Amino acid sequence: MTDIATEYAATGTKQKAKSLPEAVFAWLLIGPAMLFIAVIVAWPLAETIRLSFMEAGLGGEEYVGLANYQDLVESRKFHQTIVRTFYWMFLSVALKLILGLIGATLLNAAVPGRALFRVLVMPPWIIPMAIGMIGWLWLYNGYFGVLSGTMMSLGITDGPFEFLAYKQSAFYSAVVADVWVGTPMVTLFFLAAMQGVSRDLYEAAWVDGAGRWYRFRRITIPQIMPVIVSMSLLSAIFTFNSFEIIWILTEGGPRGATTTLIVDTYKTAISNFKFGEGSARAVIIVILLGAFSLIYLNVLKYVNRKYGTK
Amino acid sequence: MKLMKLTCAAALLSSAATVAMADSHATELHFIMCGGEVRDADQAVVDQFEADNEGVTVNLEAVPWGTCQDKSLTLAAAGDPPSIAYMGSRTLRQLANNDLIVPAQIQDDVIYQDGVLNTVTIEGTQWGYPHAFSTKALYINCDIVEASGQECVAPTTWDEMYAMAEGVVANTDAAGVGLAGKDFDNTMHQFLNYLYSNGGVVIDSATGANMLDSQQTRETLEFYGKLASVAQEGPTAWERDQLKDLFNDGQIAMYVQGPWGYGQHNEDINQLVAPVPAGPSGESGTILITDSIVVFKGSGHEELAQELAQRITSGDSQYDLDSSWGLTPILDYAAMGKTDLYYEDGIWPNFTATISTGGPEPLLEDFKSLQSVFTNMVQGILLEDDTVDNLVTIAGEELDDAL
Repeated sequence: MTDIATEYAATGTKQKAKSLPEAVFAWLLIGPAMLFIAVIVAWPLAETIRLSFMEAGLGGEEYVGLANYQDLVESRKFHQTIVRTFYWMFLSVALKLILGLIGATLLNAAVPGRALFRVLVMPPWIIPMAIGMIGWLWLYNGYFGVLSGTMMSLGITDGPFEFLAYKQSAFYSAVVADVWVGTPMVTLFFLAAMQGVSRDLYEAAWVDGAGRWYRFRRITIPQIMPVIVSMSLLSAIFTFNSFEIIWILTEGGPRGATTTLIVDTYKTAISNFKFGEGSARAVIIVILLGAFSLIYLNVLKYVNRKYGTK
Repeated sequence: MKLMKLTCAAALLSSAATVAMADSHATELHFIMCGGEVRDADQAVVDQFEADNEGVTVNLEAVPWGTCQDKSLTLAAAGDPPSIAYMGSRTLRQLANNDLIVPAQIQDDVIYQDGVLNTVTIEGTQWGYPHAFSTKALYINCDIVEASGQECVAPTTWDEMYAMAEGVVANTDAAGVGLAGKDFDNTMHQFLNYLYSNGGVVIDSATGANMLDSQQTRETLEFYGKLASVAQEGPTAWERDQLKDLFNDGQIAMYVQGPWGYGQHNEDINQLVAPVPAGPSGESGTILITDSIVVFKGSGHEELAQELAQRITSGDSQYDLDSSWGLTPILDYAAMGKTDLYYEDGIWPNFTATISTGGPEPLLEDFKSLQSVFTNMVQGILLEDDTVDNLVTIAGEELDDAL
């Protein structure tokens, strides 16, 4: 063996000897996080799946197979709840995206006091949810609330109007409150993305005679499309699982008009102590959100491919 | 050798001290007090109990109603029950059926008002010590009624009540009556005040049969629908305790509330209190609601907890609580030899007269489902979602499922 070959062989051995501890070291680094996830995510999820096959309550549990799922499949109320949940999610997310886009565009414009406006957009996001919703409760109150009072003084209504008393108005009032909470996050993410768009593109388009709307449509939107898609997914998941807003405003009423899947699950499992039936609902939520996320991720992949983001 | 002996002695002493400390900690009673506050009358009993039982401490935890019962039930189900708790009696069947509490040992010299023990008795066994009792009556704002050109005389029938409310709506800016219809337990309670004033029954106390689908329920629901036309805007957004704000603000002329309402209303309101008016098929009644002290199983201190429960619900302590809080008297204090009773005059006869004709809050294991049955039915008529017939039929079926 030549000197070079000997040296190469020695180096190779050295590298091989080095790679094993590195792998161990990597596992050591990732181990606590994996353990943590196993304890707080995997185990509860496995336990929820197990419980969904049980009739479980305060007194114990009994295996019932697919009975809990069968009840849900046959329940007209549950079907209505699923439809209502998706309607709630699509409506709320669409409004958040539209308002977020408008807000981000305005905040990105070179207007005096822009920094102040950027700060002012934050409160709905940073105010504790419960406090914010108690504020909305008062706003929606027919007798003591500002909204009803304003409507009366403008002659829109003859007397007080209780926003949370009727099925439709309660639902849309809850959507408005949810949009109020969720829009700032969307706005700030869109704003960050817009600030990353090269000024050269706008200047070149301007030189070519492109108007504002054209530049927005053909430069801004495509450039921030990956962020729009990512935010849509995140926002959809948050909205689907939005619990506090509905619970504080209406507790799912009146007559179930604002009961979404997550509220229904809470009522069943925690309020009524029907852990088995509640778990079946929770598993269905996981499946629905999993499928939804899968579709979204594929869309995101397509968007990234189309708009050149890796 | 000497050092060795000293070390052994020190070790023995320290382990004995540790055991003693552990013992003293082991006799801590965890007392969950629903309602978010500890009343002075209850605190005095607890203090005396601790003084009389050396080494025993009572960890009193006041939890708001909204979360309290769920917390107690969850703790018990998780194998870490409180020793004792003050909760709504409606939870008793669930707790008893799931073997989470032990039967109460109510002493013979404690004489309850008629109907009170029914609220804690399941198939002949008393599972709680009734500790707070409420009946309801109709509060009328006479200023509003008189402003509408009517004489402020307490209505005795539903027709009279409706006519008075209608007169208020026609001649003032106020609503005739305040109705509770929110997704909340007192929507059911408010409805039961009217149902029991119309001879209605929810569950037959002797047979346990579902009696909700009846003519009396139909009449009551129909009356509720009629009242909605003279009630405040959007009753389904209001729960009973919020109605007092409307009453104080002069927005409603009358509503049904417990005896504590009198002290919560503005002093300048000329208020009249009357029993809940009678329906066409019954006589004036009320819902009889109690909250009870329950002793949990498996805390390791059941005997001590029983003793504390007996003390806190005994004659003098209970009287202090009832009189200071303004509760409907839960014990027959006159029969127990007490004189100069706080509830003999003033507004009190309106709250005590209907005890004998009142009905209990139904005791179901799944009391949340029971609540939903009533909320759905009441909201259904308030929102004009369905006919009285259909709503009552559906409610009857839903109650069957919940039983």
